[in-house]
Amino acid sequence: MEIKFKTLVAPEIKRGCLMGNMFNALGSLWKGMKITIYYLTHPSTVVTQQYPENRETLKMMDRFRAQLTMAHDENGHHTCTACGICDQNCPNGSINVVDRKNPITGKKELDRYIWRMDSCTFCNICVQVCPFGTLEMKGNFEASVYDRRLFVYTLNKYAGPDQKNLLKIENLDDRKKQMESRDIFGGPVPLSGQSIAGLEAGVFDQLRKTEEAATNG
Amino acid sequence: MNWEIKTVAMFASEALREGYLGAAGYIILGVVAIAGFLAVLGMVLIYAERKVAGHFQCRLGPMRVGWHGVLQTVADTIKLFLKEDIVPFQADKVLHILAPLFTLLGTLLVLAVVPFSPGMQVADVNIGVVYVTAVGGFGVLGILLGGWSSNNKWSLVGAMRAGAQIISYEVSATLALLVVVLFSGSLKLSDIILSQEQGWWIWRAPVVGLVGFVIFFIASTAEINRTPFDLPEGESELTAGFHTEYSGMRFAFFFLAEFINMFIISAIAATLYLGGWMPFHIGGLDGFNAVMDLLPPGAWFAGKTSFLIFVLMWFRWTFPRLRVDQLMRLEWKILLPIGFVNLIAAAFMVMFGWYYGN
Repeated sequence: MEIKFKTLVAPEIKRGCLMGNMFNALGSLWKGMKITIYYLTHPSTVVTQQYPENRETLKMMDRFRAQLTMAHDENGHHTCTACGICDQNCPNGSINVVDRKNPITGKKELDRYIWRMDSCTFCNICVQVCPFGTLEMKGNFEASVYDRRLFVYTLNKYAGPDQKNLLKIENLDDRKKQMESRDIFGGPVPLSGQSIAGLEAGVFDQLRKTEEAATNG
Repeated sequence: MNWEIKTVAMFASEALREGYLGAAGYIILGVVAIAGFLAVLGMVLIYAERKVAGHFQCRLGPMRVGWHGVLQTVADTIKLFLKEDIVPFQADKVLHILAPLFTLLGTLLVLAVVPFSPGMQVADVNIGVVYVTAVGGFGVLGILLGGWSSNNKWSLVGAMRAGAQIISYEVSATLALLVVVLFSGSLKLSDIILSQEQGWWIWRAPVVGLVGFVIFFIASTAEINRTPFDLPEGESELTAGFHTEYSGMRFAFFFLAEFINMFIISAIAATLYLGGWMPFHIGGLDGFNAVMDLLPPGAWFAGKTSFLIFVLMWFRWTFPRLRVDQLMRLEWKILLPIGFVNLIAAAFMVMFGWYYGN
């Protein structure tokens, strides 16, 4: 195979006369000054957010990565097939994909999608490797909680077949039967049936509601 | 229009005929006025700088303390008052404590001759320009002492840089000042202002005035160690340069002196080239001049000075810092030759009367 080389000549630095250099320098300084005065005279260029005050109207950037979520369509179906590629690719083991056999069909399906926020670096690899486009990074950055265990999320809202297999079932009631509800903090890993001091019963429902409001809105 | 120059020093000398008490009262008045002005101006300038810097960089600046953060500098001042004042182990204690005072003293003494308006000046020295240059050089003594006595390598490097820089740029600044002294024929600041009744020197002395003004402005920016000439501080290389080891009030003194120096060079540049408190006059157009006189002289001075301060801030938040060799090259190879040519040209123009309004 013949390789063609292209000759590159380094551009020569032009050194003008003293006066020429001086006026060039003044010109380039003026260019910079024009940019800064534009910013000063146009308050719309300010990017600072007055955060706690504008909490109601704050809109995060689309690409901001603060929380891993699983996309659910309008019927509440997700597209996760429990293939575990994200689990294998996660650099710090923050993802656990727990699968199970469907009690009726015997096919492999998702039981729990466990994501540990406390060890996550938000590298976005899981989102990129997912062949089904199930995962999504959302901009909900208000993640502080009073108990470390609340950093362990169950991302799927039901255990059962993915969207494709669910849509094959014609009867809506049969579909519902296949979908076993999963709580966002209710998994075996985080709380293991314990209660957290200061949190009353039913708090998970509330947390889930705020979570949903934050991720949808 | 007849401008009557009144200064606190004049009142004091008049009162001296009656007795010592009245004169002492006037002197105390002058000192208190300068000290109060210094403190208030420092706070206002720091707030303005932070706000302007914020908007230059697409930020908002201080927003939390008071309406749009107007009380931020007050809070900062209280904090600096209450902070512990640390003198490093094995530092030269006496010099370490004296250094910020020297720097502030240089600033304070120049402030005494700044003409704010015909009736507002503490002292009108008959060698005003020489006094300003001489006393202004006091600041570098404080910086050198502070850097040396801290017993810290960053401080020493910063202080030595400051010494080299200020001594170099003082030459150009003085050469540029001499241009105006040639044209006005006086060293007294009030006389220089009165000589601009027919027009400001920046345009009455064609080209020479403008070149002199630009050289003075650049050289003075370097003299007060402001960006793009802030090598003595150079955060990225020297932590904080000569004031690395200072904290609390002593750090505040350095900081205050830096900001007041910004006001002083703006005020001096305005006085010499832009007519100080003199309204914008064009020789011969009496109607136009009368309209311009409607604004009080103090407002003209404040307007010109604050415009120049704004330009200094604009420089600071736009330009990158120079390297040490670039700094020296700019002074000795560019500014100084131009300054000399400018001075000689000015001398010829004064000799043959080649300027407007002659």
